[in-house]
Amino acid sequence: MFTPKKYFVIGAYCLFAMAFSPNSQLQKWVLVHGSSLKIDGSTNVNHFTCEISNYSEPDTLTVHKNSNHKDQSLPFKGVLTLDVMNFNCHNAMMTKDLRKTLKEKEFPRFHIRFSSISSLPQLKAAQEAITGVVEIELAGVIKQFNVNYQLSLDAHNTIHLVGKRAVTFSDFNLQPPRKLGGMIQAKDKLDVEFHLLMKEIN
Amino acid sequence: MKKILTYGLIAGIILSVISYGGLFLAIMFLPSLFVDYNNPLFNSNGSRDLMFYAHAFIISFALSWFWERFKGQFHGHFIWRGLEFGFVYAMIALLPVMWISFSAMDITVQMVLSWLLYGFVQAFAAGVLFAKLNP
Repeated sequence: MFTPKKYFVIGAYCLFAMAFSPNSQLQKWVLVHGSSLKIDGSTNVNHFTCEISNYSEPDTLTVHKNSNHKDQSLPFKGVLTLDVMNFNCHNAMMTKDLRKTLKEKEFPRFHIRFSSISSLPQLKAAQEAITGVVEIELAGVIKQFNVNYQLSLDAHNTIHLVGKRAVTFSDFNLQPPRKLGGMIQAKDKLDVEFHLLMKEIN
Repeated sequence: MKKILTYGLIAGIILSVISYGGLFLAIMFLPSLFVDYNNPLFNSNGSRDLMFYAHAFIISFALSWFWERFKGQFHGHFIWRGLEFGFVYAMIALLPVMWISFSAMDITVQMVLSWLLYGFVQAFAAGVLFAKLNP
């Protein structure tokens, strides 16, 4: 005969077992000051690098190890929300032009949503290459990308996550800027790199 | 009127080649001079490209009318007449516009000087052509 007390004990045991199961492991990383995002692009007259440096929102990323996941990738969750106006191209005109191209007035913020990673990071000093999937929302368009990550841990136990990916203006229905009747033309391709500094919390 | 339109059209075709050909070569060989055009002041979506390329004809018809009206004021060899014509145009039409543009807009001295030179060369070329075709 199962009494309510027995049900409670069995339920508590199940929860406890799930939480400490070898197949289930949660890593939480909180962003610390100094993270950055960089965009490299070019026109037919110059190359440009625009960056958002010292991103310091205390966003949290979580990796959940779950061996039952169908495609073997691990859920990697978290969102970065960045202001388009914080882009700096180290040239006032180019900075203004990029902000206009990214439709800053209509869409002042863009988002990077982490979705999954290929394996559970080991978090050691040597760089570890893994891949993952992120969703980028820019100028009102959401697009999913595979990203190559480099992960490492420095002497201060700060996790460095560097993600690189080539995207295009047209991925987000944006038109690469063209001037003087198209004689000066930005190339569609942009190399995006974000460097996140994080501390593990648990 | 027919003369103004005919010589304006001929000058427009020649100025198109000189202006846009010169611009294309300048961008190709001196790209650093054009970095500041990556600026939201300049139209960037291509909606005014036709107007941009029509400029050579706009200036040619205007200069053709101006030449017809004042050609008696320019004397000497046709090259000299073209040079003086270009100088008059630069002083009267370009310099004040460049001045007000620089004072009001976020553009560089280099840009303004290059526009002054560009306009002068256009008017000089048109002046030489008019002095030859319609003395």
